[in-house]
Amino acid sequence: MKNILLQIASDTTAIIAVKSSSTIFTSFWFWASLIEFIVIISLLIRLRKRNSNLAFAELTKDKMKNAKETEINMDNLMNSINGSKDLYKELSRLCHPDKFVNKPEQKNAEAIFQEISLNKRNHQKLTLLKERAIKELNINF
Amino acid sequence: MWYKLIVIADWFGEMAERYKLVRDFNKAAKNAFIAGKAPTLLETKITRGESAYRHTFSKFMGGGFRIKALSGRPMEKSELIEVGRVVLDNEELVRKLISLGWDTLEVHDSQGFHGCKWAFKD
Repeated sequence: MKNILLQIASDTTAIIAVKSSSTIFTSFWFWASLIEFIVIISLLIRLRKRNSNLAFAELTKDKMKNAKETEINMDNLMNSINGSKDLYKELSRLCHPDKFVNKPEQKNAEAIFQEISLNKRNHQKLTLLKERAIKELNINF
Repeated sequence: MWYKLIVIADWFGEMAERYKLVRDFNKAAKNAFIAGKAPTLLETKITRGESAYRHTFSKFMGGGFRIKALSGRPMEKSELIEVGRVVLDNEELVRKLISLGWDTLEVHDSQGFHGCKWAFKD
């Protein structure tokens, strides 16, 4: 009797296991979630591929850390936006090397003029160059 | 797990840095306007940016760095271009903007919808 009962119990558990596994694979939600999962994975792969084609893809975040931590002089930026154009015009007119032809200051004037052209839109550097021009070229602004 | 926490902390740090930069710019612009150095009050905003100018570090829906004239004298097109050129010539600022996820520089006047756009990656 005991054996018969054990046999019946083992049979029923086997049937339940077979039924539950077969219901999982035939369930609509199983296939829906599987398709969703595949779509998500393919979209992630596509996103990664697209990112690798974008600019600066070869740079890592660690390399950009220094750039993030630099302090920007906003006052200089505002001065550059509002006053660098006039200062550049004034400096380039007064420090032009043609004004110092056959004079001892000619070389200095050429060097200063090159610096002025390079820092055309940097008010801070133009101000320093103005001081340098006053000292080295004896110009009165 | 620790790595994920670091990534989350980095993300928040980056966002804080972005807003700090915008705040600093606006503060400096306001001070310049009040002191009479600037004829026009400028203000920066974070916008969506141009999708064609995207790069690896671009922030989703936040890649645009817009400088807008708020009040004072209206700006001419040459002045708008000059503002953009000053920002683009500042190498440190451009590097910082790129690293913080901006990809587009926009300069707008106070009136109308016209403005200028540049890509930082160029």
